[in-house]
Amino acid sequence: MTDGAAAAGPAAPTAPAAGPRPGSADERNGEALVEVRDLKTYYPIKAGILRRTVGQVRAVDGVDFEVRRGEVFGLVGESGCGKTTLGRTIVRLEKATSGQVLLDGGDVLSFDGRDLKKMRRRMQVIFQDPVGSLNPRMPISDIIGEGLLAQADKQNGWGERKVRDKRVSDYLEVVGLRRDYTRRYPHEFSGGQRQRIGIARALALSPEFIFADEPVSALDVSIQSQILNLLIDLREQFDLTFLFVAHNLSVVQYISDRVGVMYLGKLVEMADVAELYAHPRHPYTIALLSAIPDPDPRVKSRRLVLTGDVPSPANPPSGCRFHTRCWLRRQLNNPENCETEDPPFRELASGHRVACHWAESVVDAAVADVVPTADIEVPTELPTPQDVGAPVVTEIETPSVTDVVEPAEEAAGTAGEARPEEPQGPTQGRV
Amino acid sequence: MDSGATLEELEQRPDYDVQLESLNQWQLAWRRFKRHRMALLGSALFLFMVVVGLIGPFIIPYDDTKIGLPDAKFNAGRPPSIAHLFGDTGRLHRDVLTLVVNGTRLSLLIGVLASAISAIVGTFVGGIAGYFGGWLDTILMRIVDALLSLPLLFVILAFSQFLGEGHASWPTMVLIFGMFGWLGIARLVRAVMLSLREEDYVDAARAAGVSDVRIIFRHLVPNSLSPIIVATTLGVAGVIIGEAFVSFLGFGVDPATPTLGNILSGALEFISQGNWWWAFFPGAAIVLIVLGINFMGDGLRDALDPRAKV
Repeated sequence: MTDGAAAAGPAAPTAPAAGPRPGSADERNGEALVEVRDLKTYYPIKAGILRRTVGQVRAVDGVDFEVRRGEVFGLVGESGCGKTTLGRTIVRLEKATSGQVLLDGGDVLSFDGRDLKKMRRRMQVIFQDPVGSLNPRMPISDIIGEGLLAQADKQNGWGERKVRDKRVSDYLEVVGLRRDYTRRYPHEFSGGQRQRIGIARALALSPEFIFADEPVSALDVSIQSQILNLLIDLREQFDLTFLFVAHNLSVVQYISDRVGVMYLGKLVEMADVAELYAHPRHPYTIALLSAIPDPDPRVKSRRLVLTGDVPSPANPPSGCRFHTRCWLRRQLNNPENCETEDPPFRELASGHRVACHWAESVVDAAVADVVPTADIEVPTELPTPQDVGAPVVTEIETPSVTDVVEPAEEAAGTAGEARPEEPQGPTQGRV
Repeated sequence: MDSGATLEELEQRPDYDVQLESLNQWQLAWRRFKRHRMALLGSALFLFMVVVGLIGPFIIPYDDTKIGLPDAKFNAGRPPSIAHLFGDTGRLHRDVLTLVVNGTRLSLLIGVLASAISAIVGTFVGGIAGYFGGWLDTILMRIVDALLSLPLLFVILAFSQFLGEGHASWPTMVLIFGMFGWLGIARLVRAVMLSLREEDYVDAARAAGVSDVRIIFRHLVPNSLSPIIVATTLGVAGVIIGEAFVSFLGFGVDPATPTLGNILSGALEFISQGNWWWAFFPGAAIVLIVLGINFMGDGLRDALDPRAKV
């Protein structure tokens, strides 16, 4: 950003048009920007003519984490685990049932009227579907300008058409589109271009925090990397903080600084991206990472395949939610506390939190066998299993086939059977 | 952004001012409509009847209130002739062409106005129910369900008797048909709203702090307009037929003011005496109008479908 256009608008968030921001963003990087405290989002299940509530779908069921200023926080998990609902609740597109969301210390969930509107400008959304997220009857100038008009005040002058149109063009250019596309309609653009328009719409309000809801999963693979790189550039350029939801683990690894793994409405593991991909400790995370395909076709990877289906979030299992599908629990001969006690989301090492009673019994050597991203060197700061008196898993039992290529869900049915020649004894838990 | 160029320089570049022509959804729809042969035929038919109704009274030399001298020999009316192209009526010898032209105008007016009222009320009620949902939706839709379960034709007859004592003025007919025509539109609009409010672009607007009112008028209404237009267009034909039916039964507009329905009603008495022209010409006018509107409505339905090819 060296040109005059940048100085006039988008590249200078401290310029009057973009609105003032307290302090330089760089100084405050690393502080928590968004703090989520015990957030719950339940949906009532209604039945009968009287529409009585007969139950609740616990889409998000007690989530604690924070997104630090300037970072990309990746959120992964299977479809239906609540990651999108979590993001939508944070930006107030869904109504939270309980809990707190703090933006710079201000309670987002309690805002209404003018405060809510101000907050909306600071927290923006990039949607998954590049077709559905642009109104087919509006020209681009209105699609991007609409938010500006809604957020117009005396200071930014966005109430004036000329100011608004110039800003729309500026941001089209920022996302790599032509300035004069403003009068075109969404149907005249390709999927990647539409997603760029969606990004421009979010950026035009000079937000601090962006919830990106699977922004590349609806795109062609060749376009995905373009959009990811664009997001990375924009993050630098505008000091953005991202909550990045995806189900593609490689995408999350590429873009994130820290990663949270969700299962059935709860965070089960959270760590820096390198730590999480190299030393996963939650059995669910290990199973997820094991599903990453290796680009080298000669490598015969052993894949850990989860058995059974995801339980219903309306009636989650007792104790640890993952116990019904947990391979670690089976290898440890079904310890009782998995079924009875909900594991706390505890800190295993600095910045690495896991919700598993038996996380210490997983050793890297065993993980490396099934996880292509694993790093075999054991970090010194992790407590050794012997210290906490936990059983050790030295080898992870993989299902019948050694080179599984199907996705985990499809293979779930046959995954329970073990091949006879595979040694069973030593893989069972040892104290 | 290409570096090194200031905004001023960019604006100086030759391609900057080239405004690329770009069609919005309505222009695309018009393009599709123009290619729909039956729709064009229907529109031409409908427009022709509108023109007949609007300027016909100024061309025809007779007054619709003019009554001919009684003539015992032609008590059943005189057949079509050069002076009276559509013949004249029995007993009072009114010119049938004059009646049809004036009746067309009034029937169209009743149809269009009643449908417009239906569309406005239906959009309003359906829009509120669909957008806000909850108990408001439940109450409004149960009212619609209750009204739809009434045998509407009889209710309309009863209302006509009650409001116009059997011979209502035409604004009363507009009111009656408008009062009961919105039910279907309300259901339609509610269904459309329910699906539209889940669209990502509505969420995007909410996330930017756009107000509810603006979301309704800038996003939801324009996107639900196509089905409303189609339903309203077809509704005009429905009202015209309904009005003809009510008038035919003698509960409609006073026979002194001709509508296509009450012209037919009078013709009934003389049809067995060989007077076919009194019934044929207004009947044909109804058929032409309704056919035209239905073709036009079908064409609109196809043209306004955003999934259709250009």
